[in-house]
Amino acid sequence: MTHSSAARLLRTVAIAATILWSLAPIGLGVATSLSTQADVQAVPARWLPGHATLDPYRSLLGGTSGSHAGGTVSESGAFAHAMWNSASITLMSTLAILCVAISAGYASARLRFPGCGALFRAIVATTVVPVFTVVIALFQLMADAHLIDHKLGLVLVFVSTTTPLAMWLVHNHVKELPAEPEEAALIDGCTRWQAFRHVVVPQMRSGIAALSALVVLSVWGEFLIPLLLTSTSAGKPVTVLIPEYVGKYTTNYPLLAAAGILALLPPAIVALVLNRHVRGMLSGSS
Amino acid sequence: MDHPDTASTSGIVLEGVRKEFPGGVVAVRDISLEVQPGELVVLVGPSGCGKSTTLRMVAGLEAVTAGEVRIAGRVVTGLPPRHRDIAMIFQNYALYAHMTVRANMGFGLKMAGTPKRETRARVDQAADILGITDLLDRKPRQLSGGQRQRVAMGRAIVREPAAFLMDEPLSNLDAKLRVEMRAEILNVHRRIGAPTLYVTHDQTEAMTMGDRVAILRDGALEQIGTPLELYERPGTVFVAGFIGSPAMNLLPVTLERSGDGWYASVGGSRVLIPPRARAALRPFAGHEVLLGLRPEDFVSTENMRDGEHGVIQVTTARAESLGSELVVYFSINGAAASRPLTARLDRRTAVREGTSTRIGVDLERLYFFDPESGAAIR
Repeated sequence: MTHSSAARLLRTVAIAATILWSLAPIGLGVATSLSTQADVQAVPARWLPGHATLDPYRSLLGGTSGSHAGGTVSESGAFAHAMWNSASITLMSTLAILCVAISAGYASARLRFPGCGALFRAIVATTVVPVFTVVIALFQLMADAHLIDHKLGLVLVFVSTTTPLAMWLVHNHVKELPAEPEEAALIDGCTRWQAFRHVVVPQMRSGIAALSALVVLSVWGEFLIPLLLTSTSAGKPVTVLIPEYVGKYTTNYPLLAAAGILALLPPAIVALVLNRHVRGMLSGSS
Repeated sequence: MDHPDTASTSGIVLEGVRKEFPGGVVAVRDISLEVQPGELVVLVGPSGCGKSTTLRMVAGLEAVTAGEVRIAGRVVTGLPPRHRDIAMIFQNYALYAHMTVRANMGFGLKMAGTPKRETRARVDQAADILGITDLLDRKPRQLSGGQRQRVAMGRAIVREPAAFLMDEPLSNLDAKLRVEMRAEILNVHRRIGAPTLYVTHDQTEAMTMGDRVAILRDGALEQIGTPLELYERPGTVFVAGFIGSPAMNLLPVTLERSGDGWYASVGGSRVLIPPRARAALRPFAGHEVLLGLRPEDFVSTENMRDGEHGVIQVTTARAESLGSELVVYFSINGAAASRPLTARLDRRTAVREGTSTRIGVDLERLYFFDPESGAAIR
């Protein structure tokens, strides 16, 4: 065996291991979600469902044919409501974060005003503060503002925790863009804002797509803060609802797995769509 | 905001324009110059001389520290670029990558609220002038460098601005295309007639394109004049060395008086200084000055004529035939070794490398410079 073919084999094995590592839990989740509780609890373990059933999905999505095999009953519509909460919180947060981060990142990269450097560094420095060091104060603050169990409260927190990092990324992205097209736009009759809107933002499309994916994924997956700041279905996102399916005495594993798979779909779709956009933009610009 | 213009010009006027960057770096030192309507003035100098900064101050892309900029009789010093009624062409084209060529060219008119039909007509006309009509629906990334620069020019002329600014517009093009686009820019300039300020680091471009050329050095205006004036009468040793290719030979010589003649003595050779140059040189008698000799002012031995040419004993190091002429590198016998001098001789001259020979120099074309200040002695 030559050196290069050995290296190739090693690389193939490494890639296969990585794929298996990433996808095996999802595959197991899909299999479990299509099983009955009896299949899941069979000894010896059965990796594939004996009789595939969509019942767990039906009961999650409020279908009427709920077979409560394991005993855990999902509140009617609670899951769908939590998904809606997650989606609306993610959408609002992402839009707000993008608006603030793109304009602030651009301003910090291009505009010169007294204190601009210090201001930028101060904002970026907040990214190193771990969230759990401020949760108690945060809870108090939100309680005083009557924003507990309120989607707006979560949005506010996500915007303030994620924007500095997003702004930093935009700042670096803008620094890499040539300044001349916007200067040409300024000469062509644009105000700074018009040049930003008509020339800079279109130039940043791939960067914005990548940033959107990053923000959507991180907000959708948030757990600690919503766990802390929500207690009823009014504001509870799906990440906080799912652990409640773990019962004290029994757990409906198919239901739990189905909830996990459903919660996985929206961010996966967003990542796939935006990923294609990012690649398309990169190949177009070079 | 319109100020009545006190001077009578309607071109581009800079008056004592100065630029200091934070930290005290002075990029531009009190430059005053004027570009008349229909005139193309080239700002030229080595990199870092402040020529681009000067242009950007005229455009309004850099703030002016002191002084005044006027365009078409209007003081624009504090105005943002969009209120200056200018167009600018950039080295890297600066096209809007996400727009078609037509949208690129019409963008300024769209911003100004020009009716769509008129915008369309004016873009078509400009595209016709530049020969890019068949590119109008393409995106910039589908164009070659030369085509992109044409589009950038189209975008500039469509707006019919009061002044044109060009920042090294040809530097990204290959040599052949550069010569072509040089002619193209001049054609468009003559046709439009707007005052144009043109920045380049390339002295050939400056000489061939400028009605007048302004030479900048360390942020200050060294000399301004027509290309021929700068070539014939350089005011300083810097200008003398900058204009002309190959560059003027500069060598330290001693001024000697012997009998009734004045001589510049270098190594073992003496060159008779023509009577009309003597008055200015009198204060330097017996001292060292810099003698400037253009490569094209040398002649080979067989073409020398008594009284017209001085004779120098030299050793040729190398000869390069360009076909049309012979470029000879040589040192002067007996002079301290320094960089070899350059001469452009008749292409039929027979030169043996490494041999001692005589070379003639046109006595009417000697340049003298003060070695202290660098100023021309004349």
